[in-house]
Amino acid sequence: MKITESFRISWRAITGHKLRSSLTTLGIIIGVGAVIVFMVLGGAFEANIAQDIREGNDEPGMWVNTQQEAGGFGGAQILDNPIYTESDVEALESIDSVDFVAPEANLPVAQLEHGDQRQTGGFGIEATAPDRVESDIVAGEPFAAADELVLSEDATDLVDGGLGVGDEVQLNLEGGTTETFTIVGIVEESPGGGNSRVPTAGYVSLDNYGTTVETPDGDRERAYSSMIVAAESAEVLDQAQEATVDYLRTESDAAQLKEDGQVIKAQTVDDAVDQVGDIIDQFTFLIGGIAAISLVVGSIGIANIMIVSVTERTREIGIMKAIGARKRDIIQLFIIEALILGVIGAMIGVVAGLGIGYLGATGIGWPMVYPTDWIAIAVVIGMGVGVLSGLYPAWRGARVDPIEALRHE
Amino acid sequence: MAVARTSAESTNAVSLQEVRRTYHLGKPVHALDGVSISLPAGSFTAVMGPSGSGKSTLMNMVGCLDTPDEGSVTVAGQDVGALSGNERAKLRGTELGFIFQQFNLMPRLTAAENVTMPLVFHNDVDTGRRERAEELLDQVGLGDRLDHTPPELSGGQRQRVAIARALVNEPSLILADEPTGNLDTDTGAEIMELFEQLHETGRTIMMVTHERHIAEHADRIVHLVDGQIEEIEQPGGEP
Repeated sequence: MKITESFRISWRAITGHKLRSSLTTLGIIIGVGAVIVFMVLGGAFEANIAQDIREGNDEPGMWVNTQQEAGGFGGAQILDNPIYTESDVEALESIDSVDFVAPEANLPVAQLEHGDQRQTGGFGIEATAPDRVESDIVAGEPFAAADELVLSEDATDLVDGGLGVGDEVQLNLEGGTTETFTIVGIVEESPGGGNSRVPTAGYVSLDNYGTTVETPDGDRERAYSSMIVAAESAEVLDQAQEATVDYLRTESDAAQLKEDGQVIKAQTVDDAVDQVGDIIDQFTFLIGGIAAISLVVGSIGIANIMIVSVTERTREIGIMKAIGARKRDIIQLFIIEALILGVIGAMIGVVAGLGIGYLGATGIGWPMVYPTDWIAIAVVIGMGVGVLSGLYPAWRGARVDPIEALRHE
Repeated sequence: MAVARTSAESTNAVSLQEVRRTYHLGKPVHALDGVSISLPAGSFTAVMGPSGSGKSTLMNMVGCLDTPDEGSVTVAGQDVGALSGNERAKLRGTELGFIFQQFNLMPRLTAAENVTMPLVFHNDVDTGRRERAEELLDQVGLGDRLDHTPPELSGGQRQRVAIARALVNEPSLILADEPTGNLDTDTGAEIMELFEQLHETGRTIMMVTHERHIAEHADRIVHLVDGQIEEIEQPGGEP
């Protein structure tokens, strides 16, 4: 029996019982739809995070930090460990493809005072190189002296009445000393990087940073726990990254100062996006897997209906056998019927899943993504589920004895 | 007439030799108990007998739906008992045409699709099927009902569709099981007229019935009792 004939006859059987066929496919629709919805939302969330990471990080560069080697589920743990010495910074700056190196150092700040207003906690101040803030300045200019501060745009409302260029603030450093800074510039958002757990409110000169370590050569030098290494251009970013990692892992002071089990990383924005993406993917798969359970329920639904259908159509099977149908013809008919139900269910499920995913993603404000590989997987699974759930009913149908079947009312 | 019979016997569409079929339902029941009969090509044979006489079993044997416990059944030159299930299915699809009391049409397929259904299983050529269905339905007087489904047709019309279906593969033998059993007298008479026409055009027919006046349309009537042939009668002619 030709496959096309089977499709024609099976299709008649499906359209002959519209309500039943619709309800049967509903199981697959929900299963495939749920998987697609979660894949769309997971992908959209990831795309949104990637967008956030890239935003304000359009300068080609990388963030050098130290991580614990066996970073398990949940990604890497970034360490606050001052091992990058002044000598390392100088050595990196001498690499051809490197534009500038901006060490990052978080200053422990307890309180910010402006006039008679005080803001305690909830923010951090970072000591860095002026290059670091230069490209993000929206007002004023980068700091040039130790008592100048560049404020983050988000931090301008830390005190009532707001802060602006020219204002003076007192910072109570955790050591107990109080320093007065003049705000000389405002930067748009955080220029990225940073290992503090609180938002960075402002940037000051490295002159305010005092952490030193003993270098392998026996000198005492200032040392930082992370730094931004900017490349000359996007074209040489890979080259700069390679050279930076190569130097830091071999000849640098940092390579000697770091403890066993710690690893020096130089992450570009793409690396950071990938890293976050990996974490989100794990969650997406987990939730998608749970959604896939409903596919199993859907397949049981198909099998159930097909078994009823075989019983109900015993007489038809008998007629077909009497006029020449072989076992395999009957098996083919029922499997194709189940296959059609599975594929239709999968296709409607994909469309419904994309629709709901789109509404969800745009509703939250995430960019829409089309998980093409999952769409393909869903359709294949729909077909597989259809065929698998049709196997047993088809086998039962093929076993029908035509003599008995024709007596069947 | 005697001469004609001799020449006909040389080409038997079906022949049964000492066929036995026993069902074990508590105690053994001999549904067929040593039946030997031949159906010459072009003959029209009616089988009569009371309930439980073995009519249906004989029908199933000749129709390749059942196989004998003992003896042999030869259909279109092939020993049915030696064939596999698929081979018997093929024989049914290519050499036999079935007509049932219940019509047994596929309810969701149109008249034309029902007629060409046997071709679907054993004929990979799907061109000209529609024309073939049209021709046959025209022949049984349903040329204008091609696209009607069985529920849209009367009993007599359904049986005509079934007859057209039985003819579609140019069978060696047409098997009819109480073809008028579900029809009123007038419609039944019309159907029997069709059988007469088929017989006149040289078709081989075996028909099971319990109605005498229906059986009288045949060349000869085989009377079955308790699984054995009691008598072979030739209505309207000398024995």
